[in-house]
Amino acid sequence: MPRHRDEDDDVDEEYAGSELEEEEEEVEGRGGGGSSSRKRGRSNFIDDYAEEDSEEDEEDDEDYASRGGKGGAAKRKKSSASIFLDDQARVDDEDEEEEEEGEDDFIVDNGTDLPDERVDRRRYHERRFLSGEENDEDVEDLERRIQERFSRHHEEYDEEATDVEQQALLPSVRDPKLWMVKCAIGREREVAVCLMQKFIDRGSDLQIRSVVALDHLKNYIYVEADKEAHVKEAIKGMRNIYANQKILLVPIREMTDVLAVESKAIDLSRDTWVRMKIGTYKGDLAKVVDVDNVRQRVTVKLIPRIDLQALASKLDGREVAKKKAFVPPPRFMNIDEAREMHIRVERRRDSMTGDYFENIAGMLFKDGFLYKTVSLKSVTAQNVTPTFDELEKFNKPSENGESDFGGLSTLFANRKKGHFMKGDAVIVIKGDLKNLKGWVEKVDEENVLIRSEMKGLPDPLAVNEKELCKYFEPGNHVKVVSGTHEGATGMVVKVDQHVLIILSDTTKEHVRVFADHVVESSEVTTGVTKIGDYELHDLVLLDNLSFGVIIRLENEAFQILKGVPDRPEVALVKLREIKCKLERKISVQDHYKNVIAVKDDVRVIEGPSKGKQGPVRHIYKGVLFIYDRHHLEHAGFICAKCTSCVVVGGSRSGANRNSGDSMSRFSNFKAPAPVPSSPRRFQRGGMGYNSGGRGRGGRGGGDNSLLGTTVKIRLGPFKGYRGPVVEEKGNSVRVELEMKIVTVARDAISDNVSVSTPSRDTSRYSMGSETPMHPSRTPLHPYMTPMRDSGATPIHDGMRTPMRDRAWNPYTPMSPPRDSWEDGNPGSWGTSPQYQPGSPPSRAYEAPTPGSGWASTPGGSYSDAGTPRDHGSAYANAPSPYLPSTPGQPMTPSSTSYLPGTPGGQPMTPGTGLDVMSPVIGGDAEAWFMPDILVDIHKAGEDSDVGVIRDVSDGTCKVSLGSSGGGDTVMALPSELEIVPPRKNDRVKIVGGQYRGSIGKLIGIDGSDGIVKIEDNLDVKILDLAILAKFVQS
Amino acid sequence: MFFHIVLERNMQLHPRFFGRNLRENLVSKLMKDVEGTCSGRHGFVVAITGIESVGKGLIRDGTGFVTFPVKYQCVVFRPFKGEILEAVVTLVNKMGFFAEAGPVQIFVSKHLIPDDMEFQAGDMPHYTTSDGSVKIQKECEVRLKIIGTRVDATEIFCVGTIKDDFLGVINDPASTA
Repeated sequence: MPRHRDEDDDVDEEYAGSELEEEEEEVEGRGGGGSSSRKRGRSNFIDDYAEEDSEEDEEDDEDYASRGGKGGAAKRKKSSASIFLDDQARVDDEDEEEEEEGEDDFIVDNGTDLPDERVDRRRYHERRFLSGEENDEDVEDLERRIQERFSRHHEEYDEEATDVEQQALLPSVRDPKLWMVKCAIGREREVAVCLMQKFIDRGSDLQIRSVVALDHLKNYIYVEADKEAHVKEAIKGMRNIYANQKILLVPIREMTDVLAVESKAIDLSRDTWVRMKIGTYKGDLAKVVDVDNVRQRVTVKLIPRIDLQALASKLDGREVAKKKAFVPPPRFMNIDEAREMHIRVERRRDSMTGDYFENIAGMLFKDGFLYKTVSLKSVTAQNVTPTFDELEKFNKPSENGESDFGGLSTLFANRKKGHFMKGDAVIVIKGDLKNLKGWVEKVDEENVLIRSEMKGLPDPLAVNEKELCKYFEPGNHVKVVSGTHEGATGMVVKVDQHVLIILSDTTKEHVRVFADHVVESSEVTTGVTKIGDYELHDLVLLDNLSFGVIIRLENEAFQILKGVPDRPEVALVKLREIKCKLERKISVQDHYKNVIAVKDDVRVIEGPSKGKQGPVRHIYKGVLFIYDRHHLEHAGFICAKCTSCVVVGGSRSGANRNSGDSMSRFSNFKAPAPVPSSPRRFQRGGMGYNSGGRGRGGRGGGDNSLLGTTVKIRLGPFKGYRGPVVEEKGNSVRVELEMKIVTVARDAISDNVSVSTPSRDTSRYSMGSETPMHPSRTPLHPYMTPMRDSGATPIHDGMRTPMRDRAWNPYTPMSPPRDSWEDGNPGSWGTSPQYQPGSPPSRAYEAPTPGSGWASTPGGSYSDAGTPRDHGSAYANAPSPYLPSTPGQPMTPSSTSYLPGTPGGQPMTPGTGLDVMSPVIGGDAEAWFMPDILVDIHKAGEDSDVGVIRDVSDGTCKVSLGSSGGGDTVMALPSELEIVPPRKNDRVKIVGGQYRGSIGKLIGIDGSDGIVKIEDNLDVKILDLAILAKFVQS
Repeated sequence: MFFHIVLERNMQLHPRFFGRNLRENLVSKLMKDVEGTCSGRHGFVVAITGIESVGKGLIRDGTGFVTFPVKYQCVVFRPFKGEILEAVVTLVNKMGFFAEAGPVQIFVSKHLIPDDMEFQAGDMPHYTTSDGSVKIQKECEVRLKIIGTRVDATEIFCVGTIKDDFLGVINDPASTA
């Protein structure tokens, strides 16, 4: 019964502490013990009795006697019996009702001790307390009493208690109940003693059975009695019990718990890792070097926390300032240093072990460690998981591998149940079979059956769990399942006994873990990836309105890469400091005013992270967070200003790019579309609008087939309303109705195809005045409304793809921007006939509203449009009739185009094909001017001159005169500019189409096409000469 | 290790591609879609070398897209545990160095670098032996052995070692130049 012995020992230590309680018990015992009937409770100890023999009993008695003496010596007036009772109360957890039983229990416990140990202890006690003042009579009396009781038990319970019998000992409804009585805090013991005194005074008319005050339970005592009334009676008039406090009944099931003593069976052995519980070394890791179970002492090895200065001055007898708050850091004791400070160091040989110790002021040191003997109580061995730092420190002075295994045993003690699983690779680390590798076949309680490759061994082989350690090889992919790095995964790069070095998957950093803490796993996780609502790599807004990306999760905190482009700034923030997650889909413009949306690949061209490249993960306030997998810091995230980045991957530029919300993008641009005059400005402005146009083109190209199309709502409260779709989400679409955005079910809308009304124009461009059917019926009308033309252009843009511009350019000998520029001017209509050719097609196009037709075709009809080549070729031939700028002539084809006027079918008819093209001419303005290209300027009344565009903003270009841009800078309207066609071997800038913004070398000219080698990716592309401009390095 | 294998893929083609060039369109789309991708089973698809067969197209309801089952030959690259590779060092830090063999990134931990090589921080961080005869730095070519692989959806990551016979630097452009 080792457990009992331990408890017994514990009790020894706790005499002083539990004294009152014991006394109370004792009193009760005296009062009622002898007469009261023996309860089932006693059978608890039957087996113990059975095992005992009288000889041991005798020893016991002596032991008790001496102990009693000790108790007396401990400046406490109490009878030796009370001590016993105390023990009983402690040990006997199940029934407190009878003092007798308790005593029995006590005796039994001792009886089952190993004889030699008991002898030891007795001697110890004798030696120590031989001169105790306790008189012999007392002892004899006690002995007699105990023997009496003991023999009685002997007769009755000379059989083995089974589980069932044990079960029967549990309190039942017939037993006295336990009542919880509230008393003054801190007075629990006092109350118990008072009740005891009361019991003594009043005798049997106090009908309570016992009173218990528990150390760990403040504010309450337990009273055992049959009826509540009895309890009330007993506590009546007690000073520390509040008069009208409710008395609570402890449910029968919980009664045992009230007095159950937590099993404190600590199996401390040498080399176990423990932690100190109290004092200067509180929390420190210590290693057990010696255990004295008798004295309840344990000698531990610690890293000393000694302030030599203070020690020296103390030894000198000087005053030492008491600084309680200051705890010296742990440091190995350097004897020489101590000597230098004139601290007396004695070198002594320990008589027991034969080792030499340095003795400084009563403290023993060896190899720099402090050897301290402390009470068993002041160390804890439970859940001690030494960290690597601590272990390393301990191993530093004496480099021997054995110490590691000492640590291991503790680690193993803290293993979870089910630590080994079938199939685990294991290695034997102790015993004869050390270093034997195998695989777990089966796990029994303590033993693990392993299968090994070794011949001649039983298969499977049973090995104690404690002798096994998990085995990993470099290259294994593992997951950490416990310890500080729990949840992380990585690849094993090094195995050092039971310590693994893992390369974490997320951080690409080394992590040291115990082999015990990991399992093999193919799973790739980032450790903890979520705290609260925030996940790794989320963009979050912080309290102070700064923002950043979560790059790492730590315990209850996030590491955040702040959105500061100049330098990487990492902040550690708590959950509560995060305001919200930023999930808005926005797009920004890059260095060349190309649109960057999330997921686009960009390259950083300026700033500290120049040269980095990767997909954009987040965009906020013009700051991009780019993920570069080659970038190892900050989890691969780079923060850069949008203007210092360029979009890469030209092929993706058109259609796929702009999966974002087209409306929001739209509104980002300079002028809101609804203003009728604004399209003009767009055309003049060129660049900004271009992006817008592309944005819309992209919208159709992607998966969002409905996005941007104008729909009519068929059902619900908004029935009959029309508007462009601004967002699609699952089964719902968000439709913008003039001012208002509503959400309707997807099937509650009808595409505009069938409606055949240019409602799209109407809604988007606020042309409510015109009835939708109007333009198609009255072909002339639109002519008169330039506004409408300009309005039409953006629609076209939506449909148009960059390549188409190219297709067209050669056929527009006049500089297109001018066309469109003038287009928007109503005055120019009548007066300048040469501009007319361009305009009618636009109108023609508009009238039948192919826009809606196109837009509403699901399944990516836009992407059709987006495919440059096919259309390019198709249209290239078509427009020729327009070429001669004979006024009026174009009218004919365009008017014919009205006739077929079947919406939806229109895009297929050649007429429409032509029409579709026409706005391109106008829209070409966008494709034009970019910085760093060579242009011809011919202002009215001036000679033409060459210059280099320096800047393009809001429809005007800043042009530096001179072929290299070295001259004066003038402002020019796009209409005054003409691109200088590049020659072979010139560096060119592509000013339109898909590769707009790219720089390349014109390596050949083939008719109207130029062969360009793009510098970025060295691709060779055939592009129209018209969208090539001579590049001049600024 | 490189393999020349035949893979199959269902290609969805938009009707606009139909015509004389259908096959070319299909092939170019296939190349665009497949080359450079990575799968756990086959590794990286390095290049498509030929088309075995193009099956009958099937029109998909509602969209007009046509699905063609295409069998194609391609060269795939998949690193294996225990394989010896030659790779170019891309980054050196105190924990080890990263190297690339084509699309595959390989990390060689400092624990897997011979013990006599020490990390030297500075402008050009490198690992070097005490006598300075061998130096691992960026752009260096090393021969290494893969000891573990991890396959993601988009990349294969390996851990390698140079702590073995005949492994280590094979060519250092910085020192020869």
